[in-house]
Amino acid sequence: MAQRTIRFQIRPDGRVEELVEGVSGAGCEPLTERIEHRLGTVQQRRSTSEAFAALPLEAPQGQPLSQHSPA
Amino acid sequence: MSHFSTVQTELRDRQALVEALTDLGHPPAEGELTVRGYRGQSVVADLAIRQDSGADIGFRWNAETGCYELVADLDLWRQPVPVERFLARLNQRYALRAILAASTEEGFQVMEQRQHVDGTIELVVSRWDG
Repeated sequence: MAQRTIRFQIRPDGRVEELVEGVSGAGCEPLTERIEHRLGTVQQRRSTSEAFAALPLEAPQGQPLSQHSPA
Repeated sequence: MSHFSTVQTELRDRQALVEALTDLGHPPAEGELTVRGYRGQSVVADLAIRQDSGADIGFRWNAETGCYELVADLDLWRQPVPVERFLARLNQRYALRAILAASTEEGFQVMEQRQHVDGTIELVVSRWDG
């Protein structure tokens, strides 16, 4: 038996952040697809391992925020 | 693969929309309804919240986008909050209702639901898979 947990942050403007925990393989898709079908367009998706691995490398990997300013 | 995703809420599901409006104190009438506006002008909508002022708030299904959209005479908007704020609140409540319904259908149980000081609703659902 494995426990599958999904944590949602529903922001005051209606934006939803969804974190799927404790899942391996393709099993996490049915619920999140069902939810996303009712809710709307997924703006961003990344694997949690990538998300955590990115933390200590924040400074060197950070995208410069001034990237979009006019030249 | 476990993942983290961000979704911008769109009003796609009628049931969740009706529940969200009811939660916010605006139980809508359903059917093919007339929404009244300035000087008796009107449009047809699928859901309507009747207002004593005569300027109703409606929601109309847009088949092209697959979403419900608000129809109202904004010059006659008399709600305590501006229309942008009204829609933001509605989107948040709609998202909660849609997620709760989908989670139950997929056999998940609500483990935790709480509201943070910044207004964010945190919801944790869980299921044991054999």
